[in-house]
Amino acid sequence: MKRILSLVLALLMALSLTATAQEPMVLKYGTDAEPIGFDPHTVPALASTRIMLQMYETLVDVDENMNVVPLLAETWEQPDDLTYIFHLRKGVKFHSGREMKAEDVKYSFERILNPDLGALGNSASYAGYIEKVEVLDEYSVKFTLKQINAPFLSALASSYLSIVDKEAVEAAGGNLLQSSGGTGPFVLGEWVPDNSVTVHRFEDYWQEGVKFERIEFYVITDPSARMSALRTGEVDLIVGDSAMLSLAEKAKNVEIYKVRSRNYTTLCLNLNKEELKDVRVRQAISLALNRQEIIDLAFNGEAEISGFAPASMGHWAVDVLEHPLYQQDVEKAKELMKEAGYENGFTLTCTVGLLDSIRNSGTVIQQQLAAIGINVDVQNKENAQYVDDWKTHNFDLMVCQNGAGTDPNRAVAFFFSTTGSANIAEYSNPRVDELCELAAGTTNVDQRREYYHEAINIILDECPNVTFASPYDYIYASTDLKGYAPTASNMVNFRFAYIEK
Amino acid sequence: MLIPILLGISIAIFLIMQLIPGDVVSGILGIEETPELRAMWEKKLGIDKPLVTQYFNWISGVVRGDFGESFRTGAKVFPEILWRFSISAELAILACIVAWIIAFPLGILSALKRNSFIDRIVRVAALLGVSVPGFAFATLLILFLALVFGYYPPIKYVSLMQNPLKNLEIMILPAIVLGSSMAGSVMRMTRSSMLEVLRQDFIKAVRAKGAPERITIMRHAFRNASIPIVTLVGMQIGILMGGTVVIEQIFSIPGLGQYLLTGIFQRDFPIVQGTVLFMATIYVIINLLVDILYTYIDPRITYS
Repeated sequence: MKRILSLVLALLMALSLTATAQEPMVLKYGTDAEPIGFDPHTVPALASTRIMLQMYETLVDVDENMNVVPLLAETWEQPDDLTYIFHLRKGVKFHSGREMKAEDVKYSFERILNPDLGALGNSASYAGYIEKVEVLDEYSVKFTLKQINAPFLSALASSYLSIVDKEAVEAAGGNLLQSSGGTGPFVLGEWVPDNSVTVHRFEDYWQEGVKFERIEFYVITDPSARMSALRTGEVDLIVGDSAMLSLAEKAKNVEIYKVRSRNYTTLCLNLNKEELKDVRVRQAISLALNRQEIIDLAFNGEAEISGFAPASMGHWAVDVLEHPLYQQDVEKAKELMKEAGYENGFTLTCTVGLLDSIRNSGTVIQQQLAAIGINVDVQNKENAQYVDDWKTHNFDLMVCQNGAGTDPNRAVAFFFSTTGSANIAEYSNPRVDELCELAAGTTNVDQRREYYHEAINIILDECPNVTFASPYDYIYASTDLKGYAPTASNMVNFRFAYIEK
Repeated sequence: MLIPILLGISIAIFLIMQLIPGDVVSGILGIEETPELRAMWEKKLGIDKPLVTQYFNWISGVVRGDFGESFRTGAKVFPEILWRFSISAELAILACIVAWIIAFPLGILSALKRNSFIDRIVRVAALLGVSVPGFAFATLLILFLALVFGYYPPIKYVSLMQNPLKNLEIMILPAIVLGSSMAGSVMRMTRSSMLEVLRQDFIKAVRAKGAPERITIMRHAFRNASIPIVTLVGMQIGILMGGTVVIEQIFSIPGLGQYLLTGIFQRDFPIVQGTVLFMATIYVIINLLVDILYTYIDPRITYS
């Protein structure tokens, strides 16, 4: 009996082996949220972006050191400050099989700038400075800007400014939410709502070496179910967080990828609030915080102390570890409170929501600020309400997680210039505004860095927000997955990845 | 009766959605929002019009069978609801089968052998079924199967039509989780209802007549005891239609509850309004069926 059984088992194994040998290579990716369509110009959700990044490409890319490198544009030149000419790579095909040409670049940007679409890239942070786009010849396209804008080149790397196929957009009735019309290595396949999305390899892709025949994205919202799916080999890669670390470390077949992110968690202060108008109070708050304790308690220790220009921004970052306001000093903080006339303290609300790390940070901050007499009332909001409060600046204190982006213009001007659209503190400093403008007006990197560093240092001293942590991103994958190297700029690049059992 | 109820529900859900803070445009634009972009999206989605106009636009579509399109994905809402309903309904039916297989025999047995060892075991099991939360049971079940047997249910959803066996493999674990918690309350109801009936004189009469025990129990006692059970089961099925979100999420099953929840989080009004209206209709229909069923179980009940 035993012998027959082992014979049958051996036979089955042999069969399954031959079966895997013939089967195309598939990557199964366990994600945490349902995508909401795949139009790169109108959908910002991370759950969608992961998938769109497989389907669409931009004119240029930004590498690990925040340098702008060629992608669909092979070279570019800048005859004057307002003009950029891009020379497109030849032989790049859209998923329809048609070659991508200058007309398509022009069409893509006209689509983004068309007010009726409501494209995410149609704002000052992205394509808003474009005056016009002209086709010079089949493979050359000229951009004219309304005013000098140094971040323009790196903004072109944003997926919001992806190059799309005009015919595909028209065939899909004006939006690409449920179809794909890009030049990327994968083409959209089946979408089973709330379950899975499949993308297939694009055989005419302009770069060689894509090994996966398809990538299947599975929505598994429950973190422990996701980890179980990885451990049993049902998926090869999952989106994770630091809370999963202990489970992952125990599993022999799980590889842990820890990536420094460009996100940071910060305590935003509303400068319209009487008490918070006083810079001494704001500095006292910064001095009262024990940042390492927040990280240990709210992030399981899986974050690094950071300012709003995190270390992952390379040479643009400013080291805050030595900054005097980043050293916890409760006595000095109390003194500042006394000087400001708030010896007896006061009460503030602190709005939290969206992420566990944000909620937990709120609780730790509440404890720490109690030491200097600030009584914090933590208010945990439902997601959409939290976003609403963020936007209407309806808070005293608010714990937020922001992204510093691919250019310091984003990290500084977007959040801290008087007119910055994410300046929720309503901070206003003429010198910072001036520096932002100066930095945007020059393409000299050293000069720009100097301007931004000055601005960053002013903001650090004046504390319109009190930043404390930059959390690491975690990805857990099967040890069979090879050639995969996630970075802060792209965690979903599977062009060189493959599975080897 | 049906029409005014549904009309009332449609107005209520429409107003509730307007009342909750946060809106779909915030969700779409997030941090990229500017006043110009906001205005464009409001116009595009038709939420810049007065509320009354919005309501009438929506309800007049509903009357014609057009539930509108999702704000987010632009997909038609009604076909999506139907597709997801078929999944939720299948899960509900499977859960009921699991529940009944456990609950009826054990409930009857426990009533017959009152205060025996079996009765006590059954009562404890029923209490566990009622009190262990479904999500905890589901997570434990997944972890247990994964860690001990290295098994994880298939994650790619396939419909019953495409591949019945695979579909069953996907559905069986959530059905067991849902069924076992249902079984708890059904078992308790069966037991107490049976006890009540068994005490009545007509059971003595049946026994005195010399009817075999099987007939006494099944034809006479259980049938008479089943009115409150049917009521309970009817309500449970109604709840299963939309109330299984957590279980659906854990097992990645694209059911109706999941659709509604995502709709609420994203303030995708057409989805929420359409789904709630649809669920209300189903609920009303199930109640109607339960009422009709009463007359079959107990011919003394008539509706004039």
